[in-house]
Amino acid sequence: MFKTILLAASADHACDNAAKSAFRLADLTNAHITVFHVLGMPAHGFSQEVIDVKTGEKVEASEEYISWVKEEIKIYYAKQFEKTKSFDIKIAVGMPYREILREIKNGRYDIVTLGGTSKEKISVYKKHMLGSTVLRVAKASPIPVMVLCRPSSSFLKNISSILFCADFSKESDAAFNFAANLAKFFNCNLDIFNVADISPVFSKNIIEQDEIDSQISAAYKKIEEKYIPHTKNIIKTVANVCEGIPYVEIVKYAREKNSSLIVIAHHNKENENFGSNMEQIIVRSASPVISINK
Amino acid sequence: MYSGKLCSKEPVKTKEQLQALLKDTRGKTYYKEMQNLEVDTDLLWKTIQTTLNSRIKTWLEICSRCGICAESCFLYLANDKDPTQIPSYKIQSTLGEIIKRKGDVDNAFMQTAMETTWGKCTCCNRCAMYCPNGIDTGVMFSYLRGLLYQQGFVPLEMKIGAGMHRIYYAQMDITDEDFIDTFEWIVEEYEKDYQGLKVPVDVKNADIMYTVNAREVKYYPEDLAYAAILFNLAQENWTVTSKGWEETSLAMFAGDWEACKIQVKHVYEAMERLKPKRMIGTECGHAHRATVIEGPYWMGRKDGKPPVESIHYVEWVAEALRTGKLKINPEKRIKTPVTIQDSCNYVRNGGLKDITREIISYIVEPGYFVEMEPCGENNFCCGGGGGFNGIGIYRNHRNKGLTVKRDQIIKTGAKLVLAPCHNCWDAIRDLEEEFKIGIKWSFLKPLLIDMVEIPESMKPAS
Ligand code: SF4
Ligand code: SF4
Repeated sequence: MFKTILLAASADHACDNAAKSAFRLADLTNAHITVFHVLGMPAHGFSQEVIDVKTGEKVEASEEYISWVKEEIKIYYAKQFEKTKSFDIKIAVGMPYREILREIKNGRYDIVTLGGTSKEKISVYKKHMLGSTVLRVAKASPIPVMVLCRPSSSFLKNISSILFCADFSKESDAAFNFAANLAKFFNCNLDIFNVADISPVFSKNIIEQDEIDSQISAAYKKIEEKYIPHTKNIIKTVANVCEGIPYVEIVKYAREKNSSLIVIAHHNKENENFGSNMEQIIVRSASPVISINK
Repeated sequence: MYSGKLCSKEPVKTKEQLQALLKDTRGKTYYKEMQNLEVDTDLLWKTIQTTLNSRIKTWLEICSRCGICAESCFLYLANDKDPTQIPSYKIQSTLGEIIKRKGDVDNAFMQTAMETTWGKCTCCNRCAMYCPNGIDTGVMFSYLRGLLYQQGFVPLEMKIGAGMHRIYYAQMDITDEDFIDTFEWIVEEYEKDYQGLKVPVDVKNADIMYTVNAREVKYYPEDLAYAAILFNLAQENWTVTSKGWEETSLAMFAGDWEACKIQVKHVYEAMERLKPKRMIGTECGHAHRATVIEGPYWMGRKDGKPPVESIHYVEWVAEALRTGKLKINPEKRIKTPVTIQDSCNYVRNGGLKDITREIISYIVEPGYFVEMEPCGENNFCCGGGGGFNGIGIYRNHRNKGLTVKRDQIIKTGAKLVLAPCHNCWDAIRDLEEEFKIGIKWSFLKPLLIDMVEIPESMKPAS
């Protein structure tokens, strides 16, 4: 399913959960793993001084420093590397989200994993920009983006079900195909879940229950027509629709079902704003979230 | 005559030489070699005899040492009124002395001159406005840079920068393919947000040919996307050129006169090839100075103008807002105390003060804009001009210099500083990092992107 996995990580605890899920995925799919670390923004001109994103300190991005960072990464992930089929370590200089996207563009990766939104340090370089590395990568990445911020997950033990969050958009259709393929590959259940959004941001007025009910039955119908016909080779597919605030319901549902992975489409509308559904799910979920935008 | 492997009189000629210089952390080897560099005094004197114009000669002669220029120099003020920071002292003790001695100076003299030239003057030209004799010390230091460069006494980063222009026709190692590829890639990322967004490459006879700063390609490609979005929103008939896309010139900062010509010639050739109605350069001050103001003279153009009408980005923004090509959503205007950093290169030396104030009248809610004091053509240098920002060995000099801008900003009470110039933007970023005064800073493009109305036809498909 995956031949090459890109793990964008800084070899510190903020990325531990993401790293664990990346290595687990590599293990399950016998994939090559590339650990990618971005040193930070260079000072003006050609002075090789960069702000290390991990320590926030000014360092000289000399060849020696870069080999030292590589060595650090090797030591930090030594145990995981032992079990991995093959790996390599790459270092770049620049704005992290931009360099991750550049690496995705230039490399042949099937999935990228990231972590650490909640703990990200806001350095002076990031202050002038809104949004986190994760959201920016998720918005623009042409390949699936897997994020895990919180510890523990059934994904790390056994893979029993994939939760696909449907919203019937074009992006969501791509996310469905990906989720269905995962369920087939892992030979596990697929949960198709949709939330009739009644959060105050999206609904200007109080919504009548009749309207909610009709939204719910329309959603079931769409799932039936759009997705169910493509689930023949999956052990068990369950569809569920409810009303509520999407991120709350999704996180709750994933917890109840002990979902191993959540697959969700990334939307233009989500934009880079903090507080979007995507970010909320990422920050709260104990299962890795895979975002798809194409 | 001694010639170091890294530090020599020879300009960079190959990629390998560039790589070797880049690898030399903090210029350890480079500056060590500089200790042994011999001054070719004959060459120095011959060059002066053939290139020193009568204006500079007269200036040096008529300076009455009155010291009126002292207070006009931000570096004099930042350094507790150190008399060795008085503009006239700085230039008389370097260029003046070299001429007096008919070029007969030694290594130690040249190293001190190098420090004064790149570490004590940003060529901001402010002192010229206050000298009763109209003496422009900044212009003289630009000339001195050329003499020092020729002898190999130039800070490492300037040597690299000039070398980049010689090899890549850009201030960084970005090839033409990298440029187009990055522009197309980043625009593709925004296609979903703005329908019909595209980057037209090498279109002949377009209304606008857009040129950039290579740093945008390397580190801030978002800026390219923003430029594309704004041109598309304004429904401009625009293009980028696949060759000659770099507007900046670190060669000018380095004093590499030959590379200055090589670079600007390349851009002018693109203008001749694509024949656009106008060339618009990005939000960069020195790029405008190099390509639009000085370039025609380097190229010996009789009319003193580039091959096609060339304007700074702020001029286009003002025009687009004035004519309604770009419309600001009034609710999204800036409602936070805001000030602007006037670039020396296009405000003091390019006269665009009123243009930026016009932009402010459209994008800032009345009552929120605060002028710096002084401002406009009298504004102080950001603190990082003339290459100062990038030179490692003079970093402390630069940081000290930033204090004048820091205090000016604090006095305005502004929380946001508009900085439509790469050098200013970097200097203000660095001063925030150094002194943490709690401000934000921005180019115009990202602010405009958040404020402009998007026509229905460009809104994302739902
Ligand atoms: S103000 Fe003019 S004349 Fe007076 S010292 Fe300065 S440069 Fe010389
Ligand atoms: S050009 Fe600017 S930095 Fe240089 S001496 Fe004059 S005022 Fe000072």
